[in-house]
Amino acid sequence: MPIPNPALLGATRGLLWLILGLIVASALLVVGVEIALLVAWPEVTAAFQDSPELFEVTALRFPVSVLMLLLAAILGAGAYMIRQLQALVASAATDPFIAANAARLRRVGWALVAIQLLAIPLQWTARCIAKAGSDFGDMGGISLEGLLAILLAFVLAAVFEQGAAMRDELEGTV
Amino acid sequence: MAIVVKLDDLLHAKRMTLTDLSDRIGITLANLSILKTGKAKAMRFSTLEAICTELDCQPGDLLAFEADS
Repeated sequence: MPIPNPALLGATRGLLWLILGLIVASALLVVGVEIALLVAWPEVTAAFQDSPELFEVTALRFPVSVLMLLLAAILGAGAYMIRQLQALVASAATDPFIAANAARLRRVGWALVAIQLLAIPLQWTARCIAKAGSDFGDMGGISLEGLLAILLAFVLAAVFEQGAAMRDELEGTV
Repeated sequence: MAIVVKLDDLLHAKRMTLTDLSDRIGITLANLSILKTGKAKAMRFSTLEAICTELDCQPGDLLAFEADS
């Protein structure tokens, strides 16, 4: 079996750790905002009172809390997906065509589905907070890239399943 | 399993061990053991040819079909 390029595998591992780090940093930011909403709401309203993008700031406490919860859920699904990809890349150093990798890719697919589904209420909530056309107001929503990624993950899972079955057959050949 | 490998019987008849056969035909002992114990899922024609040549037998002497009861 050809040995995968170690430099490429190393770069992929590094990139996945970087993405996971960014997800954790974003999650900490979300938690920070949630805490600020709970303990320093008057200061938050004062700071964003004159923002041209936001609607009436004093009425935004609940929608922003919902938005943060949705973001936290999306980040959780993203972290779960990256952990699955890390396990997949780790197995690529030896033999990637195993049944466990097909299951991992299927889980990645379902995590992407969850992210896309959560992006819908995220968009509704963001539209309640900020005007459409602003960076904040255009957050979330179904994306074509996301749908293609879901399709790709499930197709790859089927390919890996077939590959694992073929490898199994080959290993039983004398 | 419906296909039975009678390698043990052939080796016994030829007074040969699995290790001897492995050395003579160049197939690993582990693979021959898989074949002997009926755990193999498939067999290459080259393997069949090597075993039949060494044990001076026909494929039918090595393999048999037994219907599952």
